[in-house]
Amino acid sequence: MITAERKPLDEIIDYIKPFSRILLVGCNECVTVCAAGGRKEVGLLSSALQMAFMKEGKVLDVKELTLERQCDPEYVEELVPLIDQVDAVVSMACGCGVQEVAKRFKEKPVFPAVNTKFMGASERQGVWAERCQGCGDCVLGMTGGICPVARCSKRLLNGPCGGSSNGKCEINPEVDCAWQLIWDRLKSLGIEKTYEEIVPAKDWRTSRDGGPRKIIREDLA
Amino acid sequence: MSFQKQLSSGEFVVLAEMNTPKGVDISEMVTNARKIKERVDGAIIPDMDNGVMRMSALAGGVLMRQQGIEPIIHVYGRDRNRMAIQGDLLAAHVLGIQNLLVVHGEEMSYGDHVDAKPVDDLDELGIIRAIQSLQEGVDMAGFDLKGSPNFTVGCMIKPFADDTALDQELEKAQGKISAGAQFVIFPPVFDLERLSAFVQKAKSLGVPIISTVFLLKTVGIARYMATYEPGVFISEDLIKRLRRAPDREMEGVILAGETIKALRELCQGVRIVTLGWEHRLPAILDYAGL
Ligand code: SF4
Repeated sequence: MITAERKPLDEIIDYIKPFSRILLVGCNECVTVCAAGGRKEVGLLSSALQMAFMKEGKVLDVKELTLERQCDPEYVEELVPLIDQVDAVVSMACGCGVQEVAKRFKEKPVFPAVNTKFMGASERQGVWAERCQGCGDCVLGMTGGICPVARCSKRLLNGPCGGSSNGKCEINPEVDCAWQLIWDRLKSLGIEKTYEEIVPAKDWRTSRDGGPRKIIREDLA
Repeated sequence: MSFQKQLSSGEFVVLAEMNTPKGVDISEMVTNARKIKERVDGAIIPDMDNGVMRMSALAGGVLMRQQGIEPIIHVYGRDRNRMAIQGDLLAAHVLGIQNLLVVHGEEMSYGDHVDAKPVDDLDELGIIRAIQSLQEGVDMAGFDLKGSPNFTVGCMIKPFADDTALDQELEKAQGKISAGAQFVIFPPVFDLERLSAFVQKAKSLGVPIISTVFLLKTVGIARYMATYEPGVFISEDLIKRLRRAPDREMEGVILAGETIKALRELCQGVRIVTLGWEHRLPAILDYAGL
């Protein structure tokens, strides 16, 4: 899923200072799972903003709505009945959602309330870690299902570097060395031979490096 | 007189673009440089121009110095991050390179290493600001330098097809000039009347304007540019002139020479671009009366 963290309150207040009526929009997908921008967080942020305005002797009218998916134009349409009643929109979705709302309502300022972080997985309650960089040409088949592009600090494709020690990464001892994980996994699968194959320089065109990407499925389009 | 002094004294400067080799055989580059040594005021050394991997401009600049030509090297952000750019700039100063031209690197997909990962850590404005900072003795992270470099910095005006596009380019150039750029290079414009109007407008920038003279090697190139790069203003008459010439290659050379002559009245210098035909530079200079 896409992970996100809420922005500091002051930053959000700075955005909406000039306005007195806002629409605060949550999203029921990834940001709900990582507790950054779901219905619950919408409620909490709404109260925090109203209180902050009150302290300044001002009133902030907040309309709250959490969409099924903010990255889908179909659901964004649900904002239509509310949009004329507000001066600005604050989106608690990932960057994809914020942009969908901004695209739909060209005349309204739209501000992000979260920082979109990465594509990751939940490690345990309250902990999410990066797992995929969307390079567009998955190497997991060669690396025992552990991604060196996303999880090796140096993105080494022929790792490890000299700094791997006791299974930890030299950049950060809190982080597992991805190449140690890869080696352990290949060994347990009995396919250590794979490790000896030298991975050629990666073709980065399929990644963001080739410019903004698009998928067109002729069978569905 | 150094390029920098010529610029500030308002003298007309003649700069030749000299490409580095794709490989380590520098003989052609050196031979071509020797032939124009006394006839130009400096050589502009592109770096991986058009996204093609070649010997880096830093080495090309040093080679030009060894031949007695003052180099102006390209600096761009596609292939180097702020660490590498700053490090190379310090190296450039130490190796005697005093002039930089900050450019935009061609997209990777247009070059010859289409699968490479672009860096794009700093844009052109970011690079100019980094240069300023180094000149003030501080790197981008705020650390003091042991000895600071000194450069004359230029920037590019990208091709523009009309006044609106030119206005936008001038606005961008103004930002770069405020950040420290001291001269601008105009793209090639074959219609001198139009160019004159453009240059007149660009005078508001308040820095020397150097125009590009592009050698039309073949009628095909001229036609291609006329069709796909409207900003160059290549007329049908001009294409006819090339096509009817008994020696088309020489006609391109003559045209480039004539353009340089005409530009003396319009701007403060020329950049002669031959795209690998540097051996034609002496003839172009002959026709330009230089
Ligand atoms: S220690 Fe392991 S994860 Fe860290 S950079 Fe080196 S190979 Fe990559």
